[in-house]
Amino acid sequence: MTLRQELETEQVRHMDLQGYCLVESETSVRETLAHMRGAGGRTALITRDGELIGIFTERDVMRRVAGTPEMLDGPIDAVMTPRPITILPDTSAADALWLMDDHHFRNLPVIDRQGNILGDMTHAAIIQYLAARFPVEVLNRSARPDQYPSKPEGGD
Amino acid sequence: MTIDTIPLPQLTRQDFMSDQTVRWCPGCGDYAILATVQKVLPELGIPRENIVFISGIGCSSRFPYYMNTYGIHSIHGRAPTLATGLAIANPDLSIWVITGDGDGLSIGGNHLLHALRRNVNLNIILFNNRIYGLTKGQYSPTSRVGAKTKSSPMGTIEHPINPIGLALAAEASFVARSIDAHTQHLGEVLLQAANHVGSSFVEVYQNCVIFNPNEWVGLDDRRTRDDNILYLEHGKPMVFGKNHDRGIRLNGFTPEVVDLSDGVTETDLVIHDAESTELGYILSNMEYPTPMGVFRRMTDRPTYTDGLMGQIAEAQTKRGVGNLDELYRAADLWTVVPKEQDEPIESHISGRMADELDDEYVDRLAFGEEPAATTDLQERLAEETVEALAAHAPVEVDVHTSLAKAIRQMNTHNIGCVMVTDENDHLIGIFTERDVVMRVAGLADDLAAATVGQYMTPDPVAVRADLPIAHALHLMSLYGFRHLPLVDDDNRPTGIISFRDVVRHLHGVVKGTPAD
Ligand code: SF4
Repeated sequence: MTLRQELETEQVRHMDLQGYCLVESETSVRETLAHMRGAGGRTALITRDGELIGIFTERDVMRRVAGTPEMLDGPIDAVMTPRPITILPDTSAADALWLMDDHHFRNLPVIDRQGNILGDMTHAAIIQYLAARFPVEVLNRSARPDQYPSKPEGGD
Repeated sequence: MTIDTIPLPQLTRQDFMSDQTVRWCPGCGDYAILATVQKVLPELGIPRENIVFISGIGCSSRFPYYMNTYGIHSIHGRAPTLATGLAIANPDLSIWVITGDGDGLSIGGNHLLHALRRNVNLNIILFNNRIYGLTKGQYSPTSRVGAKTKSSPMGTIEHPINPIGLALAAEASFVARSIDAHTQHLGEVLLQAANHVGSSFVEVYQNCVIFNPNEWVGLDDRRTRDDNILYLEHGKPMVFGKNHDRGIRLNGFTPEVVDLSDGVTETDLVIHDAESTELGYILSNMEYPTPMGVFRRMTDRPTYTDGLMGQIAEAQTKRGVGNLDELYRAADLWTVVPKEQDEPIESHISGRMADELDDEYVDRLAFGEEPAATTDLQERLAEETVEALAAHAPVEVDVHTSLAKAIRQMNTHNIGCVMVTDENDHLIGIFTERDVVMRVAGLADDLAAATVGQYMTPDPVAVRADLPIAHALHLMSLYGFRHLPLVDDDNRPTGIISFRDVVRHLHGVVKGTPAD
């Protein structure tokens, strides 16, 4: 199968969708940021009673919070993007990817038909997916491509 | 201000990368294992000075050079012995033994057994590529019967060792398996091994692209691996397959593969029990699907060091501290008389030392293989360079720029990353949206007074325009970056690419070509 066919048949549920943290509606922006940092800088999915009502990304931090510190103690609801576009777990990777490209999204929450939050499809998930396609050419390479040993036995 | 404790600096993967040139063949699975170990170590929260990597001889045994920790590249097969001594001398250390199928199971087979049996607090990682790579392709103790290698042109007639079975039989208290190409799984297994107190043994299937490239076919490719790997999870039924539609049932002592349909449900399957020695043995012999994960974990056994120190303490309370000098002098003594001077050793040597440099190896490293032209998306990613991504002109800010201004700039240009330069226009850092989330928003009070230099990521990984896209992807996945700065030979910014550019490029290629 070619990469293209594979992207078209692969379902997003097979990807690593863990790049998010959950934050309850009405949490303060400051606390939300602490959550995101605690999770290694992940996107926050905002929920009310388990239901996804918004998303808060790095981009939102840049646009709505970084320059206006007075927002920090307000609720996250004021600065999140409400009702984000979501996809189903059986959406194909290709569809999700092209959707992201067309609309400049970097996150697509994955929600099943019952409304359960299954994960967040992110650029990072795709990067991992693509990189793992090339174990020999990509994964199994030095992180420093330009490094070249001056002695045959290396160790210099 | 009083300081009670100085917090440990938060280490990153980069802190564990040494400045040594990595000398494995391009494409060798060792790279992925190295990258994964470097990624996992920061999560352990152990300071670098308390970590030691000890290896024997072989390709994998070059590992300690590439780790920015303490390390010993020791004697063939003897890494477990040095490690045992060290674990006793300083029980606070996190000690990792890096060995291979030859080093660990042939040359040092007995040492490995006894380190495992004694439950020394070590993490022993055995890279299994089923071949001798460093000496150029002889069969190893794990090569399969019939394997044609340089030293077995008609196929080997020897039966291979099963490393997992061996570790179980040696009574190791933690036994696990993973594979180089599944870095996520490998990372999780290594983390568990590191957290286990006692001897942890991890077999890692490793791809030797040069001498045994097809050994792990079906397991090393993410398209097929989930259909061939049984991920072992303690307490969970043994389900496998990409769509979780198959499982393992026990028929007497024989595991059999069943489809989770026609009347078979998860309740009919074996539940994995990492505390069951019997189940561990059964699993260790299973070829399809290949079990990966933790075969056995025993937490009730004291470590060798604890036992030994306990006995020493007990002996000392009962019989006093003892005197080594007295002990020496307690028995018969005699004096060794020096021998007559012999002729100097130089006169024993004749001929000259071979002046050999490994041409074949160096050539391969320098030139690689000629790529074949193709239209396949996957191969295009491997062949095309990042130049094809039409990098954006870099948005540069001076290192003294205020944070407020840098953030404004990023918002006006609608970009997630600016390149930070010094007065000579050299790239010295990058500042991204991630930095804003991690270090600025809600943490820095006066954005007008703070400078971007204080909050940037210094000495960023930067690439040149002739890097293959696939490799750029590798760097992004390795470091979790979305952006990669491009620089010229003088380290001046020439552009910036983001993962979005890769997606757009892929999308463009797909739109421009009919479905294949
Ligand atoms: S010979 Fe094999 S195991 Fe050794 S570095 Fe090369 S690819 Fe890796």
